[in-house]
Amino acid sequence: MDLSAYFPGFLPEFVMIIGACAVLLLGAPARAAVPGDMSKQTPGLLAIVVTLTSLFITLWLGHPAGGESCPPGLVATDLLYYVRVGGLGVGVLILLANLHLPVANERAEFFSMILFSLTGLLITAAANDLLVLFFAIELVSVPTYIIVALAREDKRASEASVKYFFLGAMSAAIMVYGFSFLYGALGGTTTLSGSGDSMAAVASATDTNNAIIIAGMLLSFAGIFFKLAAVPFHSYVADVYEGPASTVSGLLGFLPKFAGLIAGVKLLSVFAWDVPPQVLWVLWIVAAATMTVGNTIALLQRNVKRILAYSSVAHSGYMLIGLIVGPSLLAGAGPMRDGVSAMLFYMVLYGAMNLGAFAVLGALEKSGESVEDIADIEGLHQRHPGLALAMALCIFSLMGFPPTAGLLGKVYIFSSAFSVGSEHPFGGPLVVLAVIGVINSAIGAAYYLRIIAACYNREPKSETKIIGGAALRLAIVACSGLMLLLFIKPALLSRDAKSAAATVVAKDVHHTNVAVAAKNTASESSPTKTP
Amino acid sequence: MDFVSNWILTAIIFMPIVGAAYVWFGSGSRVSQVRSNAMIGSMLTLLLVICAAGMHSQGQGETVDGYGLYHTSGWMADGDNRIDVNYTLGIDGVSVWLLLLTGLLCPLAIWASFSSITNRAKEYYCLLLLLESGMLGVFCSLDLLLFYVFFEFTLIPLFFLIGTWGGQERARAATKFFLFTVAGSVLTFAGVLYLAFHQYSYGDTGVFSLNIPTLVRYGQSGLIPAGVQWWIFLGLVAGFAVKVPLFPVHTWLPLAHTEAPTAGSVLLAGVLLKLGTYGFIRLALPILPEGAEAFAHFMAVMAIAGVIYGALAAWVQEDVKKLVAYSSVSHMGFCVLGMFSLKMAGMTGSVMYMVNHGLSTAALFLVVGMIYERYHTRDMNKLGGLARQMPVMAVFLIIFTLSSIGLPGLNGFIGEMLVLIGTAASTETHDGLIAGPLGMAYAVPAATGIVLGAIYMLWMCRRILFGPVLEPPGTPDTSAGLPPDLSGREIGILAPIAVLCLVIGIWPKPMIDSMQPAIEEHILASRVMEKDINVAHADKAMKGQSVASNTAPASPQADSMEVESKPTEAQRFTGSQLVGSEVRHGS
Repeated sequence: MDLSAYFPGFLPEFVMIIGACAVLLLGAPARAAVPGDMSKQTPGLLAIVVTLTSLFITLWLGHPAGGESCPPGLVATDLLYYVRVGGLGVGVLILLANLHLPVANERAEFFSMILFSLTGLLITAAANDLLVLFFAIELVSVPTYIIVALAREDKRASEASVKYFFLGAMSAAIMVYGFSFLYGALGGTTTLSGSGDSMAAVASATDTNNAIIIAGMLLSFAGIFFKLAAVPFHSYVADVYEGPASTVSGLLGFLPKFAGLIAGVKLLSVFAWDVPPQVLWVLWIVAAATMTVGNTIALLQRNVKRILAYSSVAHSGYMLIGLIVGPSLLAGAGPMRDGVSAMLFYMVLYGAMNLGAFAVLGALEKSGESVEDIADIEGLHQRHPGLALAMALCIFSLMGFPPTAGLLGKVYIFSSAFSVGSEHPFGGPLVVLAVIGVINSAIGAAYYLRIIAACYNREPKSETKIIGGAALRLAIVACSGLMLLLFIKPALLSRDAKSAAATVVAKDVHHTNVAVAAKNTASESSPTKTP
Repeated sequence: MDFVSNWILTAIIFMPIVGAAYVWFGSGSRVSQVRSNAMIGSMLTLLLVICAAGMHSQGQGETVDGYGLYHTSGWMADGDNRIDVNYTLGIDGVSVWLLLLTGLLCPLAIWASFSSITNRAKEYYCLLLLLESGMLGVFCSLDLLLFYVFFEFTLIPLFFLIGTWGGQERARAATKFFLFTVAGSVLTFAGVLYLAFHQYSYGDTGVFSLNIPTLVRYGQSGLIPAGVQWWIFLGLVAGFAVKVPLFPVHTWLPLAHTEAPTAGSVLLAGVLLKLGTYGFIRLALPILPEGAEAFAHFMAVMAIAGVIYGALAAWVQEDVKKLVAYSSVSHMGFCVLGMFSLKMAGMTGSVMYMVNHGLSTAALFLVVGMIYERYHTRDMNKLGGLARQMPVMAVFLIIFTLSSIGLPGLNGFIGEMLVLIGTAASTETHDGLIAGPLGMAYAVPAATGIVLGAIYMLWMCRRILFGPVLEPPGTPDTSAGLPPDLSGREIGILAPIAVLCLVIGIWPKPMIDSMQPAIEEHILASRVMEKDINVAHADKAMKGQSVASNTAPASPQADSMEVESKPTEAQRFTGSQLVGSEVRHGS
């Protein structure tokens, strides 16, 4: 097989795979020669160079034209372009934030695993085949189990890794079980869409409201819910996020979630969001429960990492709203009216703000121990004003507060839910879901505010000092700066999110064009009021 | 000149931020340098605000939908002409007064902090300036998202101001204040989005718009069914009522006021509470006329409950600052009551009340702060006979007390009287507006609030100022360089407010005249009787020919208020009375 035919279209992915292998190999001879004494930064720096190269190639290639020759099971769309830009962009920040890790000599393995995970994310976005989708999601997940264990020499990290691995393996099994149902119900093909005998073509020609499809979707989504840390598969997050170094927890809040959401988009787009109502209701209940449970448990925590872990559960709930709303039929409607592009925008934003908050924790050390308890960051402002400011920006963004991009993320998500309108068969429940969402963001404000109040309104208690290098600080500056930049100029990200969502096709019958339908009914519904 | 009028509102909003940056980076470590820079920043802002008010009154700049000094540039639309969510600014006869109030109170609050704030002064003044920026932004915004951004942004600096420089319970006060307000405003947020999508789905523009004039037009076209209006109204009210604060959700206010530093209390009482009432008059009332009418009784009952409850609670306080805080709850009740009369007189009174309450309550907090700096207590049991120790202070305190009570001749009287007249005459139609929902039954209990107000305020004056001298041991504390009585700086802070109290009290006409056309065009347009609508349209057509003169001759309704106070001129409205029955615009 001649791989070179796929080069122009999939060059970023090739660069990532080759880079990941190169970084991995870099570790082997160094270990054999002088254990622990290789030039320490090389693997990390190489990983950053690889990711940046891939990112620049993406930008240089621009949006996929559509005519690229694609390897079997993959397809180059604007969705892939968005994930390349957003995923690799945040990926660079993740690598920068983790550059000082791990302390032991498994650096090469550590960074190569991050690169593999990022590669998996890109392939998830490119997948056009059920099996490729499954492998891609696992390519995202499996390295994260190793990353958690490698990140620091702490029993809790190993425990977290084992726990994460077993639960992750089980969820993968459930997901693939669900995939097998879908394979059987939709004509025995694994191709998602595009060709005449693909799953999408079969789904549009048959009645999808049958038990096998419902079971298949629910089992598949159970696996996805695990990646998203959605209720009821959220119980692992606190332990898993608490175990490794803080900056790794920032990574865990981004890569598996992003892959899970994209997998959800891929599955739902097979049906053009015209799934049986049972599936939508399960998604609805999971979204509502995820927001509420995540926020409520976070209220009860004292450990900042656990607070952020449960808040990440809540944010999965917000993003699930966008997933349920789905794409708008109006081509390029933009994130205000399009659930998928709102969700994509929010995901990348969340990756950066969550990473920023965790990175601030990761940059602090208290007599050799990592900083985790909320008492440890009290008076942070007086000791390290810059870090406190970055923390405040990221936390206000997580809270959804101006002047940060988090507010716009929430505007997009909730307004997309309101945009479906009452003509949509699921319109009413979605409005209720959005209201549950805004109430939840008020609950969320309570614990986020505790973090900010600890940083600013209290006297320092413990002697903290800054660790990590210039790279970590650069990542923190970039994450918090992005929050301001995207607030002023959301189009930097939302424009690509818009075109990405436009490639996810919605079906006419289901996703009625609200504006058009409304105008037809407006004439009889409106001026009924007479004095 | 076009350039100036196009950008002056932006300059007003960002001038304090520039000032804050200058304070942070440009003023070394000396506190005196820091505070004088902060003062310069806020004074320059005041200067810009006065310029803008002048330009607005002369009708300079672009006027769109009756909003002067209009400016718009792209934000979230991103070249997509189906989305109208932009950086849109503009002011009218209502917001210009609130801008002036904000512009005036901020330098005074900064000046008042000179002696009390020495700890982390740089951050303190930066936060005050950021707060000013947010407040000015709210009054300039013509885009709902922008409005919401500024509305929420004000919480951040105030949270830090209370939480860092507050009293004993500052952490709890700051958190309670923040969470109460956020809990309300997220519901406002939901209401705003729902409203915008209703406009997008059922309006005929085909544009998703958060532009306030567009939404007002849509709301007044009657296209929003009553049931939907109720829900949106409840959503909007949730946020604004907490901010005002209306009776059952006011509990954050006394705590926040007592714990906040003086400048924080001044701006909180003087301006931030007005963000809530401003939200009512700019959004809830004009966009949701039926919702407003349906809930008017409920809102009025809550407002009156607040008037009486606040007054009774103030009566039993021992802490002067808490007393003034509860008096705010009482006074803001009047403000809300007036606007829900849905009459010109009541609405004018309400806006007047916002400005007057801003002046007199801010001044009371300033005086209380000055006493506290000398005696380190606000407990009325430990203070007494201060008129002998601090005669100048006593004069100011009495002026502001009388203004707050509503003594004729001082500013408080105008607003209070108009609110009560508007409420009592709400069911009348001789001012050219259709009948409002309230009536005498609401005015009478509200009037008891005035009596109660006089009791507790004068009681406070008597206990602090008169009787035998009572001072805590070791006071007055002059160690910080303060003289026993007010210093020149402190007199300089209070004198402008006192002068304004007098001027507005004696000669309120220019204020009323400038706000009434805006009230009629932007708030009560849907309640104008049909004949008058025609007049107003003709009026507007004339305005259209002579570019952008929004100070065009006041339409007949603009004078309606005077009619209420001078019944002899009632014949001017016989025309509208002949039209008679209540015909609504758009039917």
